[in-house]
Amino acid sequence: MRFAPDTRLSRVQDLLATELDQETVLMSIDAGAYYGLGGAAQSIWTILEVPVTFSELVDRLVKEYRVSPQTCATDLEPFLLKLEQEGLLRVE
Amino acid sequence: MSLHTYWAYGLCIHADLDCPELPPYTGNSGSPDVTIHLLPALPTASDIPENRACEVQPGIFRLTVPGVARYRVEEGSRIIIEPLPDAPIETVRLFLFGSVMGALLYQRGLFPLHGSAVETPWGAMIFVGVQGAGKSTLAAQFHHRGYRLLSDDVCAVASTAEGLQILPALAKFRICTDAFERLGAPQEGHFEVDKYVVPMGAGYCPHSLPLRAIHVLQIVDAMTPECVAPAFQMLSGFDRVQRLLENLYRPQYLKGQQTQAMLMRLAAVIARKAIVAVVTRRPNPCEADELVDFLESVWADHFDIIPSAEQNMAIHAEAKI
Repeated sequence: MRFAPDTRLSRVQDLLATELDQETVLMSIDAGAYYGLGGAAQSIWTILEVPVTFSELVDRLVKEYRVSPQTCATDLEPFLLKLEQEGLLRVE
Repeated sequence: MSLHTYWAYGLCIHADLDCPELPPYTGNSGSPDVTIHLLPALPTASDIPENRACEVQPGIFRLTVPGVARYRVEEGSRIIIEPLPDAPIETVRLFLFGSVMGALLYQRGLFPLHGSAVETPWGAMIFVGVQGAGKSTLAAQFHHRGYRLLSDDVCAVASTAEGLQILPALAKFRICTDAFERLGAPQEGHFEVDKYVVPMGAGYCPHSLPLRAIHVLQIVDAMTPECVAPAFQMLSGFDRVQRLLENLYRPQYLKGQQTQAMLMRLAAVIARKAIVAVVTRRPNPCEADELVDFLESVWADHFDIIPSAEQNMAIHAEAKI
């Protein structure tokens, strides 16, 4: 597991966001890149508005999506790694 | 010092320098929305960086162009220009009506798209696209057919009680010299870098108009077999916002603006209320005429005529005769 329960996750500043239909659209001015987050990705992004630990994030998603904490953590990991790679997420 | 009064981007502008790029203000004299102040030239010894430098802070924008001027834009309502010694005033104005005006539009919470706009019976149509996609050339082609232009280079979109409006600006437009060779040389105008600058006169629409569609121009490889004719494809979802943001004028100026959250919301409003479409065409510039025919037929098929827009155009046509 790349993320420990107490790994702190927060949004990288300097991203601009807007809502369109059921999606959050992110813009990174520096990278000139655009991202559309829908469904669970949008929920995760909303939760990350305030920095959280990995286990807090899992707890909140488990309540929202009725999945087991184990499945949630496993599914979450690649998504968080992708956010980090794209420079959207700070992992500490 | 003489005072010049202009009307652009829905703003009454008072300037203490002559700006032939801007249409004159014809309304009642009142308090201006924007004032432009030209200060005396800076002393040679001034601390001017060697490279172009720009700084965006909430409510303040600073731009220094070596050899030209130092500009400051304050609270969307005041532009202060300190020219450098021997800077040609035309060059000082070139940056004033490019980057500096772009920054002012951001400060005012308007959505500045990099492109050209024309008035049509179906509402205002904007053309955006990467450099060389043919935005200005297509607008010039429409102008040649008797359509009035709303703006060239920077199109300001505002969300108003009447819906989305495009706020017209510059009374001149710049097009590639090769486009001119096809359209015939104009009576007046002058060359500026690689573009030809033409005053628009009666071919300019000075009123705000409802925005109907934003067209992203794309040139496709002539060798692509499926591309035998121009194509028009409306976008949906995320693509619409992405295309709008990609075509912002000087997007780097959005950073650090107080209005950035408002602008991002406006992007979503524009995406929902206006049509965002990709228009593909072959690289041959001689087909610009064909593209005008094509777009006219697409608009007639997809959109309803806006009675007030049609009326405006009829008045213009009458005035021309």
